[in-house]
Amino acid sequence: MPENCEETITLTGDLHARPAGALSVAAAGFSAAVRLTVGDASVDAKSVLSVMQLGASSGQRVTVRAEGPDAKEAVDALIGILASATAVGD
Amino acid sequence: MAATVGIVLVSHSASLAEGTAELAGQVGGGAVTIATAGGTDDGRLGTSIDKVSSAIRRADTGGGVVILPDLGSSVLTVRTLLADEPDDLPGPLEVADAPFVEGAVAAAVTAAAGGSLKAVLDAAQEARHARKL
Repeated sequence: MPENCEETITLTGDLHARPAGALSVAAAGFSAAVRLTVGDASVDAKSVLSVMQLGASSGQRVTVRAEGPDAKEAVDALIGILASATAVGD
Repeated sequence: MAATVGIVLVSHSASLAEGTAELAGQVGGGAVTIATAGGTDDGRLGTSIDKVSSAIRRADTGGGVVILPDLGSSVLTVRTLLADEPDDLPGPLEVADAPFVEGAVAAAVTAAAGGSLKAVLDAAQEARHARKL
């Protein structure tokens, strides 16, 4: 039975191209399906162009939701990237 | 882990190919081999079979290579090369039918994550459907 995990973070900076790439590279390393949700928009975290299309900006809340055997690890990793990458911007 | 998939960017413009490689490489986190074949042999706008051939060899690290042409005769040059001397080149090789910048970025991220040749090709080609707004 697949494990589910979810966590939400408020961005302290905009989600630019390089952090989006880091998110997708990390997400692709997990077998869990991982989605990012901002407002009404929800995308596959493993698709970097979809993540960029979210246009997530400072102050917005991003929810990371994973489903699969390594869901918890995936959510922890992506929340970590969102917390550190958007803090410096770029 | 298997060797990562290499990426070749073929453009009429050397600077366009280099700039796209720089962007895709950085978004991919630097963990991917991207080689460029931009411009003609004498530095003008255009394409060069020799440059594409050389770029394929540089991009190959054993996991296959996905080639992204920008437009027009870039596609023709790549197809001519693959039709003429497939035995002389490392392989397997795939040509992506994809927008140049978006395809390169998506391919780089998937290759950096250790994706298969098919996964990298699919990522590039799915960029056809990516919206910016």
